[in-house]
Amino acid sequence: MLCRTTCRFLVNLDHDWLELAVTQLDACFPDKGRSHDLRDLAHERESVSFTVAMEEERRMSTRTRKVAPKMVAALASSDNRTQAALARLEALENDNAGIEHVENHDDDDDASLDDDDDVYIQKKQLKGTKRKTRQAKALEDARKAPRSFFELLHEANLESLPPHVPSYLRAAVGPPSSTSRRHFCTVCGFTGGYTCVKCGMRFCSIRCQHIHDDTRCMKFVA
Amino acid sequence: MSNVVVLDNGGGLIKAGHGGDRDPLVTIPNCLYRPLSSKKFQHPSPSTSEDLTSAAVRRPIDRGYLINPDLQRDIWAHLFSSLLHVTPSSSCLLLTEPLFTLPYIQRTTDELVFEDFNFKSLFVADSPSLVHLYEASRRPEGLVSKAQCSLVVDCGFSFTHAAPVFQNFTVNYAAKRIDLGGKALTNYLKELVSYRAINVMDETFIIDDVKEKLCFVSLDVSRDLHIARKRGKDNLFRCTYVLPDGITHTKGFVKDPDAAQRCFTVDDEGSTPQPSETEKDVVQIDGTEEPTSRKRIDMTKNEFDLTNERFLVPEMIFQPADLGMNEAGLAECIVRAVNSCHPYLHSVLYESIILTGGSTLFPRFAERLEMELRPLVPDDYQVKITTQEDPILGVWRGGSLLASSPDFEAMCVTKAEYEELGSARCRRRFFH
Repeated sequence: MLCRTTCRFLVNLDHDWLELAVTQLDACFPDKGRSHDLRDLAHERESVSFTVAMEEERRMSTRTRKVAPKMVAALASSDNRTQAALARLEALENDNAGIEHVENHDDDDDASLDDDDDVYIQKKQLKGTKRKTRQAKALEDARKAPRSFFELLHEANLESLPPHVPSYLRAAVGPPSSTSRRHFCTVCGFTGGYTCVKCGMRFCSIRCQHIHDDTRCMKFVA
Repeated sequence: MSNVVVLDNGGGLIKAGHGGDRDPLVTIPNCLYRPLSSKKFQHPSPSTSEDLTSAAVRRPIDRGYLINPDLQRDIWAHLFSSLLHVTPSSSCLLLTEPLFTLPYIQRTTDELVFEDFNFKSLFVADSPSLVHLYEASRRPEGLVSKAQCSLVVDCGFSFTHAAPVFQNFTVNYAAKRIDLGGKALTNYLKELVSYRAINVMDETFIIDDVKEKLCFVSLDVSRDLHIARKRGKDNLFRCTYVLPDGITHTKGFVKDPDAAQRCFTVDDEGSTPQPSETEKDVVQIDGTEEPTSRKRIDMTKNEFDLTNERFLVPEMIFQPADLGMNEAGLAECIVRAVNSCHPYLHSVLYESIILTGGSTLFPRFAERLEMELRPLVPDDYQVKITTQEDPILGVWRGGSLLASSPDFEAMCVTKAEYEELGSARCRRRFFH
């Protein structure tokens, strides 16, 4: 499982990088299952997809990698502090915090006796009850899962529009005019004057610092 | 004359009804949820008293835009057949869409309306112009209708827009957006409560309720933080919320509603001795049970305390930088939106700011906004903020008004036109 957690946050999911990582991992863990894990993770549903540009001359590859946009910025910096801060912000847009992983099983395996449930439970009638390979399952998941907003945004290619055309990206309000901000202690909520050395979260007093160290120092960091 | 179905497709709530009515027939959450008691996702019903603890939620709208048309189709089918009792094939549809919807999403929406439901015709409006229409018609002699111009601040579920409207058209290039809305506020409150008291990360609907009942906007954060630190009776903000336990009560409730109102006794001069004196009387009247219940949180009853979270959560909209988000607050958003318009419009826009959207229902929202906005606006302009009488239904009512206007039929796109010209050409009619 160490492999899974580290792989989940691969930086720069360039194709070449991915291959390199796979070969390296294959070398470290001769167990064959590991490299398949990696490819599945690339297909697995996260928040955003990135089209991988293999080389300049070639067409843009439509193979999509899915990484949340803030996570990309976070992972691009190897700084723990920015990672933690951005991961927290990304968590604000979640729908289901803890129940996500259970959903997939329910949708697929739930025997629907109800007629009008075949909108989601589109059962693929396999010949015989052959256990689906991981790749087939990943492909099916990718096909069934609705495309996320960031995929659509990226595909719409809004940067290429001329500047006088208003678009989603131009409507964003942009950074605040003054960079001075208030800091609040993440443990108790009052004004926090001190920063944790390891992960960069704020706290206000020694007591709050102890609580922070015991519970969630480095928790948001990959 | 065929009837018009007015449908305000929001990220949080769907408001649907017939054109010409005063209020929508149905206001339900725009999602499918699966409570603990059942294994399948079910449609929310308007009058539900079931236990919504740990209900998993599937939303077709993510970040304000419709990305899951299958799910939306299912919700609409249920809505049209069981709740509204309309037949789509003999009705027109007036649909609201957020600003800057991507063409792909517009196409899927059109497909959904015309091909899956077979509506006769469609009109797509955006929320600021509908709000402007409604407000202008409510006060025919006011500035909004005379100048045909206003600034609509819509704090919704998924994001917050500040959009100027001129001559009933939204000024696209001047609208500004903050990516914070009711959903982010609820998630933030969930995170705070889960860390400090009980793990409520799954309880979306319950924490929504907590947010609506207990949160307010503070006018002076540092002073309120100071008060919230105090112990015992001096702490005017401490409030306990009891979670449902499924046996005695299925919905959560605030433990002491009067205590929740105490936060409003703090006035601007910060004269805190006065409130605490009146409280002493309250405590004596209630007898001996008050002090014990406030001292100790009863762990068996699943309740938690909120002190500074009550005003720090809505504070997010005014200062997203508190969370680390690199976005400006609401006051600056308004200023930037106005500055992107023609200079002649500035004075009118500042005088006719309309607040709409569910997240403006926090107490003292308008006061705080005016307080923050006034220093940023040049002296010669007046700043006047109006709140709608019902911010959640405001957009729907505007749509209903539009639907009952005589030339509405001519503005729609009929199914025949859609099939002949395709989605993109038809959309150009709507100018956004």
